[in-house]
Amino acid sequence: MQRDLGSFPLPPALRAKLIGCGFHTAEDVSAVRASELSKEVGISKEEALEVLQIVRCKKFGEESQASTGSPSLRKCTALELLAEEHSQGSIITFSSALDEILGGGVPVAKITEICGAPGVGKTQLSIQLVVDAQIPKCFGGLGGESVFIDTEGSFIVERVAGVAQAAVHHCHLIAESGQDEAQQEAIKEFSVSSILSRIYYFRCHDYVELLAQAHLLGDFLAEHRQVRIIVIDSIAFPFRHQLEDLSLRTRLLNGLAQQLIAMANDYRVAVVLTNQMTTRFGEVCSSLVPALGESWGHAATTRLILHWEGKLRFASLYKSPSQKEATVPYQITNCL
Amino acid sequence: MATKMLKRTGLPLDLCERLSKYQIINCRDFLSVSPLVLMRLTGQSIHKVYSLLKIVSKACAPKMITALEMKTERCSNPSIAFFPTSLAELDEILHGGLACGTLTEVTGPSGCGKTQFCFMMSVLATLPISMGGLDGTVIYIDTESAFSAERLVEVARCRFPDYFCTEQELIKMTKKIHVYREFTCFDVLRRVESLEDDIISKGVKLIIVDSVASVVRKEFDTRLQGNLLARSNLLSNEAATLKYLAEEFFIPIILTNQITTRMGPREAVCFQPGSVADDLPLSEGRGISPDGETGYATAALGNTWSHSVNTRLIMQYMDFDSRQIIVAKSPLAPFAMFIFTIQNSGLILQGSSHVISTTEKDKGNTIICRLPFKSHTILIWKHVMLHCPWNPLLSSTLGLPSPESNHTVVQ
Repeated sequence: MQRDLGSFPLPPALRAKLIGCGFHTAEDVSAVRASELSKEVGISKEEALEVLQIVRCKKFGEESQASTGSPSLRKCTALELLAEEHSQGSIITFSSALDEILGGGVPVAKITEICGAPGVGKTQLSIQLVVDAQIPKCFGGLGGESVFIDTEGSFIVERVAGVAQAAVHHCHLIAESGQDEAQQEAIKEFSVSSILSRIYYFRCHDYVELLAQAHLLGDFLAEHRQVRIIVIDSIAFPFRHQLEDLSLRTRLLNGLAQQLIAMANDYRVAVVLTNQMTTRFGEVCSSLVPALGESWGHAATTRLILHWEGKLRFASLYKSPSQKEATVPYQITNCL
Repeated sequence: MATKMLKRTGLPLDLCERLSKYQIINCRDFLSVSPLVLMRLTGQSIHKVYSLLKIVSKACAPKMITALEMKTERCSNPSIAFFPTSLAELDEILHGGLACGTLTEVTGPSGCGKTQFCFMMSVLATLPISMGGLDGTVIYIDTESAFSAERLVEVARCRFPDYFCTEQELIKMTKKIHVYREFTCFDVLRRVESLEDDIISKGVKLIIVDSVASVVRKEFDTRLQGNLLARSNLLSNEAATLKYLAEEFFIPIILTNQITTRMGPREAVCFQPGSVADDLPLSEGRGISPDGETGYATAALGNTWSHSVNTRLIMQYMDFDSRQIIVAKSPLAPFAMFIFTIQNSGLILQGSSHVISTTEKDKGNTIICRLPFKSHTILIWKHVMLHCPWNPLLSSTLGLPSPESNHTVVQ
């Protein structure tokens, strides 16, 4: 390995000392034992051990568990991925048109972004998804738990209870008409209070709390393995008014997006983000585009734009790796 | 809490000392910096930096609560979750009234009844809970000098004649309403930020800001460079502080806004609930263009502000003395339209409610031009008539501004 020492995440003071003593590449260092290294460079034995372990990419102690939740080299065949995708399912939205354009529902292990003007139904859709993720497996759902991170304060429990009630009612109807034993069993446990007890709610007042929560979410998901969806409503609000420095905002957003993608993959959760719309002034006319800038557009795998056309609401699939672009109408009722 | 000092987060003190040399003193600074830079500043390895990030995050991240716990908290809490407006059908569609802990915006053209609505709500908030009130005090931030104590007393007396039969009760009620007059944006922002102490000491159960738009539009001309951004920032900060107050103390907050015209293509003549007139220069100069572009009424203050409020009620003129109130944006309620008139006792709903479903055609709209000040003259009414030829009514007698209050009373 001719890899230069500067490319390893070593503390700068240590790195300076190593280079001063003539160790320039990984090969030089890995050939030496820890105690010899400590004598030559003039560092403690623990530090020398740390250096060797970083260079050799070994897991060590409790400190490494933070960063290495998954092996650094992941390889699998496309066939394995196909099997995985089939088995993990997606979260339905109770609006068949929307489910169709999304290819069955909101996909798990991907980031879906929902953009729209104020009042068009983004929070309603998020609440619907948070309830739908809990639908038991025998009814076609994922039977999981949900995390709702609220930055705007639009999460009203009464509305969630209403949506949950409608979902329970829907499942009751299915169970009654069918003869499936498993369904009858599942329906006993599926009630409004059980749904509400499995929605984990975090209220972040500004972007710092959101970033902090994102750091801690990994551990939370490791403890609550049943979580199948994370909704952040909305990701635009805290970043749009407190940050004047746009380059800082871009950097923080990119970091956040990377963390969310990693979490989505490692823990098999669907991540749904809600975004706002802003006007872009063009030469002739101005158009509405999703907020947070061009580079943010790359963060989400799938982008759904909700908009008005006259009196009706429409959902357009704007970006998707597997589905065709389409626009469908939808309505907000007691249950979406 | 973003501004929590690092010293209190559990980080070793020598590390905090070292970081403070680089101007990193609170959680916000620590989390805004990338891990590589942190490595350099702290002199630690990357894994140690990750664990430090976890420690700091734990210190400022929000607590988790399940939805069920939220629900039981609300049910067991004696204070109610919705503030009834005493307009029965409106309350029904809003699941009980104005949701506590959220921002409700009332917007409409000048003279439509927004301030009357605010008066009505102030009186209601001081009533005991058994009568549908909140049994608390009210903070009324007045930016237009439109507050009239006489009118307030009149509304109280006419709406609840049995309760306010004695002078004693009226005096008690008026003592509970605290009016702050602020005339610049900066003053309003400062007042809002300092409200927390007042809320705790006075037992405030309702905050009204009448109106948010007037100060902002007076000071920020969005045609000038840079003003748009400054205005959005100011409004966002205000909205964030108000939201925090609403949630922390679980009280409703009512804000009033103005109307602006948005010129658009011919098909867009119909009223677009929640539509997105953004921070574009106001288009009064253009009038009706030759190819038939007409305008439609939307709330002022732009797109970003529309995202910040939770509920939006839009008032409009319908015909001579009746107006409409439309539930345009709400996390709980579908669209609905109610007709009301303004009388001695405040707002009274007429007729039956009208839930707008998405398949109905909309009925009749008015185009209202921006009327920034309360000083109406007949000229302005004529201007309005020019733009709404299908509204024949506005030709009859117009009241003059009455001496005690600042409103124009339409006879």
